[in-house]
Amino acid sequence: MDITKKVVLIGKFGVGKTSLVQRFVHQKFSDEYLTTIGVKIDKKIVEINGKKLSMLIWDIAGESSHQKIPSSYKLGAQGIFYVFDLTRPSTFGDMSVELNELENILSGVPIKIVGNKKDLISPESFDALRKQLSPNILYCSAKTGENVEKAFYELGTEMLA
Amino acid sequence: MVEGYRFKKLKEILFEQDRRAREELQSKLIEIEKGVNTREGMEARVNPILEDKVTFLQQNFPTLFGPAVTQAIKREIKESQDEVVEALYPIIGKMVKKYIVKEMELLSERIDRQLDLAFSWEGWLRRIKGWFGGVSEKDIITQQLMEPTLEEIFVIQQNSGLLIGSYSKNNTIDQDMIAGMLTAIKAFVQDAFSRGGEDLEMIEYETYKLIIRNFKSFYITAVISGPVNMEFKNELDQQILNFAEQVLKQEGQIREDKMKGHLEHWFS
Repeated sequence: MDITKKVVLIGKFGVGKTSLVQRFVHQKFSDEYLTTIGVKIDKKIVEINGKKLSMLIWDIAGESSHQKIPSSYKLGAQGIFYVFDLTRPSTFGDMSVELNELENILSGVPIKIVGNKKDLISPESFDALRKQLSPNILYCSAKTGENVEKAFYELGTEMLA
Repeated sequence: MVEGYRFKKLKEILFEQDRRAREELQSKLIEIEKGVNTREGMEARVNPILEDKVTFLQQNFPTLFGPAVTQAIKREIKESQDEVVEALYPIIGKMVKKYIVKEMELLSERIDRQLDLAFSWEGWLRRIKGWFGGVSEKDIITQQLMEPTLEEIFVIQQNSGLLIGSYSKNNTIDQDMIAGMLTAIKAFVQDAFSRGGEDLEMIEYETYKLIIRNFKSFYITAVISGPVNMEFKNELDQQILNFAEQVLKQEGQIREDKMKGHLEHWFS
C-alpha cells in the first residue's frame, strides 16, 4: 500500500519553489492557483527503499507586501523544503529565525534546506557562500536540474525513517 | 577575288571566339524569350518559386498573421456588436431550442413511465402520500424525477488535507489532489472570512454542490449533482453523522484500507 505524505515548499518570493516542483513533477493543476489562493498542490509517487511514497507537494507562494498567505497551509506537513535563492542574500538572511518558527509550528518534521539557482553564481562566489552557510544545505538548480531529484528523494527518505 | 577570300578567312580566324560567344548569347536570348513570352515557359519558371512561398505562408500563417487577424476580428466584433448578435442569435436560439426540446422529451418519457406505474404499489403509495401530505401527485412525480444524486464522497484529514478514504461513482481526477485542493480552498476561505469558529460548509459549482461537514480531526465532503432540497440535505447530514459516529469513532485509529468499503456500504 502507498504511503501518502504532505510536503510543503516554503521560501521567499521568487526563490524558484515552483520551478523546483516543475522539474520534479508533471503538473496537473494550473499555476494560476498560486496567485489566486496562494498555494498549488502537485503529486509525485517515488519509490524509496522498496516503499512507494506518494508526495503531495504544497507549493506555498512566497509572501509579498500585497499578498498574505494563510499559515494554515503549513499545518499537518510531514516534510518541509525551505528554499532560498543563492543570488539574493535577502532570501536567506533570516533563515535561522524562519526555521525556528517552523520548528515551533511543525515540531520534529524533517526539513530540507535547498539553495536554488546554483547555475547563476560563479564557482568562486559559490565556494565563498558554502563556507558561510550551514553544511546541511543542498545546492541545486531548477534550471539545469542539478540535485533536484536528489533533494526530493533525500527528504522522502527522512520522512519514511 | 583571292584577296577577298583571304580577308574572309582572316576574319574567321580572328573573330572565331567572338562569333561563338555571340551565337551562345543569341541562343540564350532565344531561350529567355521563350520563357518570358510564352505562358507555359513563364509558369515553369515562376511556379516553383510561388509554390515555395505559398507553402511557407501556409506553414507560418498563424505566426505571421495570427496576431493581426485576431486583432482585426476583435476590433470588428467590438465595433459591430449588434451585427454579431443578429448573426448569432438564430444559431444560438436554435441550439437552446433543440436542447430544451430534447430535455422535455426526456422528462415526458420519465413522466410516462411513472404514470404507467399508476396502479402499481408505488403509484398507490404516491397517491396516499399526496392525499395525506397535501401535495399533488404531479408534484411528487416531478420531485422524484429531479432527485439529487450523491456522486462522490471524501473523508479528509483536517489541516494536512490527506485523503483518508473516498467513494466515487465515476472515477474523476486524482482524488489525493482533490482532497488537498479542497483543504487549501477551505483554509483560504476560513482565513479570509471566518469570524471565529466558522467553517466552510458548501461550495456550489454549476449543477454540483459540495457539502462539507467538519469534525475534529477530519471533514467529510459530499459531491451532489442535481437540485438539493432540505429533505435530502437533512438525510445526508444524518447519514454523515451516523457514519462518523459508528465507523470513524468506533475504529479509533482510522483504517484507510477499510474506509472505501465502509463508504461504499454507507453511501452507495
